[in-house]
Amino acid sequence: MQGTTKKKIAKRQWKEWGEGYLFITPLLLGIFIFYIFPFIQNFWFSFNEVNKFNVATFYGLNNYIEMFKDKELWRALGNTLLYVGITVPLGLALSLFVAALLNTKIRGTSFYRTIYFLPSVTMSAAVAMVWRWIYNEQYGLLNAAVKALGLSPHGWITDPKTALFMVMIVGIWGTVGYNMIILLAGMQGISRSYYEAAAVDGASGIRQFFKITVPMLSPTIFFVLITSVISGFQVFDTIYMMVGKANTAYRSTQTLVMIFYRNAFDYGHKGYAAAISILIFSIIMLVTVIQMIGQRKWVNYD
Amino acid sequence: MKKTRGFKVLAMGMAFAMAAMSLTACGGGGSASKGGATTLSFGIWDEKQRPVMESMIQAYEKTHENVKINIQLTPYKGGEYWTKLEAAATGGTAPDVFWLNVLHAEDYYDGGILLDLNDYLKKSDLDLEKNFPEALVKSYNFENKQIAIPKDFDTNALWYNKEIFDKAGVAYPTDDWTYDDLAAACKDLKAAGLDEGVYPFACPIDFQTWYYPTVYANGGWILNADKTETGYTDPKTQGGIQCWIDLLEEGYSPTAAALSETLPDAMFGGGSLAMVLAGSYMTPEYTSNDAINTKINLVEFPEFNGKEPNVINGLGYAVFAGSKNKDAAADFALWLGSEEAMKIQGESGVVISARNDAQKYFADSNKDLNLAAYTNHSSEANPLPVCKSVAEIYDVELEALKAAYSGEKPLADVCEQLKTDADAILAKNKK
Repeated sequence: MQGTTKKKIAKRQWKEWGEGYLFITPLLLGIFIFYIFPFIQNFWFSFNEVNKFNVATFYGLNNYIEMFKDKELWRALGNTLLYVGITVPLGLALSLFVAALLNTKIRGTSFYRTIYFLPSVTMSAAVAMVWRWIYNEQYGLLNAAVKALGLSPHGWITDPKTALFMVMIVGIWGTVGYNMIILLAGMQGISRSYYEAAAVDGASGIRQFFKITVPMLSPTIFFVLITSVISGFQVFDTIYMMVGKANTAYRSTQTLVMIFYRNAFDYGHKGYAAAISILIFSIIMLVTVIQMIGQRKWVNYD
Repeated sequence: MKKTRGFKVLAMGMAFAMAAMSLTACGGGGSASKGGATTLSFGIWDEKQRPVMESMIQAYEKTHENVKINIQLTPYKGGEYWTKLEAAATGGTAPDVFWLNVLHAEDYYDGGILLDLNDYLKKSDLDLEKNFPEALVKSYNFENKQIAIPKDFDTNALWYNKEIFDKAGVAYPTDDWTYDDLAAACKDLKAAGLDEGVYPFACPIDFQTWYYPTVYANGGWILNADKTETGYTDPKTQGGIQCWIDLLEEGYSPTAAALSETLPDAMFGGGSLAMVLAGSYMTPEYTSNDAINTKINLVEFPEFNGKEPNVINGLGYAVFAGSKNKDAAADFALWLGSEEAMKIQGESGVVISARNDAQKYFADSNKDLNLAAYTNHSSEANPLPVCKSVAEIYDVELEALKAAYSGEKPLADVCEQLKTDADAILAKNKK
């Protein structure tokens, strides 16, 4: 008796599983075709010399050896680390600040939320074009303002010394909106009673923010941190659009993904490009693992 | 009951899976035969040339009722056209006929995606040697296989803004100007006191339109015949580059950095440059610009070192080797090289038709302009230096020259390092 019921349940369960898998098959297929297979292929390509039309010849570790000798790549790595190192903390602090402001009861919050979120839904190519004109040495808005103040105009994105920082401003401006929305959602999940209790005890607004909001929000902050670090390492489109090859600051704004892109699509060195992508992957992986370990110290899940 | 539910689930799952599959097969070109008619896809990259390509297609379809041709336009900018074409060719869905330029010809031939047109040419009455400039035909011939029909070519000329010259009281440029005349005019214009933000000329770090023509006129070279060495350290090569840096240092041009942000074409179009060098493909852009089109004209590239400097480059029509309708595609590509097609293209005034008997239509397309400045010396023009690593070479060249154009380092020092780097690229890609 027991045996038969067991068998029946198993059969029914198998059927349910089957139906379930059937429903997710299209998605699984998609993931396999567009993510898993290319990932494996890319890994394989990094040990090959691959021409424009995907004909691969085995090349051993040579792509990696060339990579370590490539000064331009190291410079790009430096640029990328600088970009991440500055845009992530600044962007996070700014998003947190804006989210805290928009969490208060002020007039027209939905208007401000829309304004701040706008960059996240705007095409990055369009964003880059607009900023390019703002920064333009001869006709730009920024230099018009600078001139109005009686100062001399500057080639903001053509001067190797300032270009990367100007690009970072765009990067931060572009991510604040999205991060702010996530942080805001987190803030609204914090019970009012904590603040009321703190107010009774006489804690100031700033104190409340650091002693209640930040700890209570730490899982959300952690999420935002992880995702911004990853997207920071992958920065490409705005810089690619804003700083052209002819630009005198080209080398000082070049990031890892740009070197990858150039080798893969401009020069047809797909094997070498694959090796660079593995490098980017490894760096992101390492940094994420470190953050995952570090979170135990400061992220509060209660 | 149960059975039908199972079937429903299965059917739905299948439908989803098929929808997903069809998504993966989307994009791409390919060709299909429907109801007896052959449909060919035609890959191009220039929006300005779409109308003339369409009228050529109309003319072809009139005499070939069973053929239908669809244009697939992918912008050239940022390498999009080539990226998409490579991916499509690898996946077997490239357009049946597509534009190919000299820069990519060898790579695509090596990749085995171009149809050898020799047999088709033998059967047709299209005589390439007789009707087209030799340099252009040869650019698309590898191991005696003709892999494209020359489409058009471009050369460079000096455009000027009459209004700025009139205001400054300086005489207009002429066809027999030399480089020294150009420099003198720059000096006069500057001395006359131009409006704020207006410059006599522009010297961007531009190879095809600016320094390669003068490098060749000066007896210099970029790439040797067997493509193993570059000529940047040759003083004659450097002389052809230095002449533009000289004008820049005199303050006749916005800085190279400023020009990398706002292209000379845009500055000329905005009336901020008295003179600019421009490829023939810029003609429609200038003539359709209402801000300047009534006050501009052009002359031949100023002579340098007693020679007529120019660089010629061009496009061709290639056929995809994996096309499902090879014969029809080849027939169309060959027709595009015919007198009829080249006339339609030439009369549009958008580009200079490659065919000898159709070059005149370009100059005739606009009687107000001295467009013959582009074609007068086309037979003396040097072809653009190309090899398989050329994209990389152009990039290191551009990067190195930035230091010389900005006055950071002398040109000779820059070229020393540039030659080492460029030769290393040639050696590496050769193996």
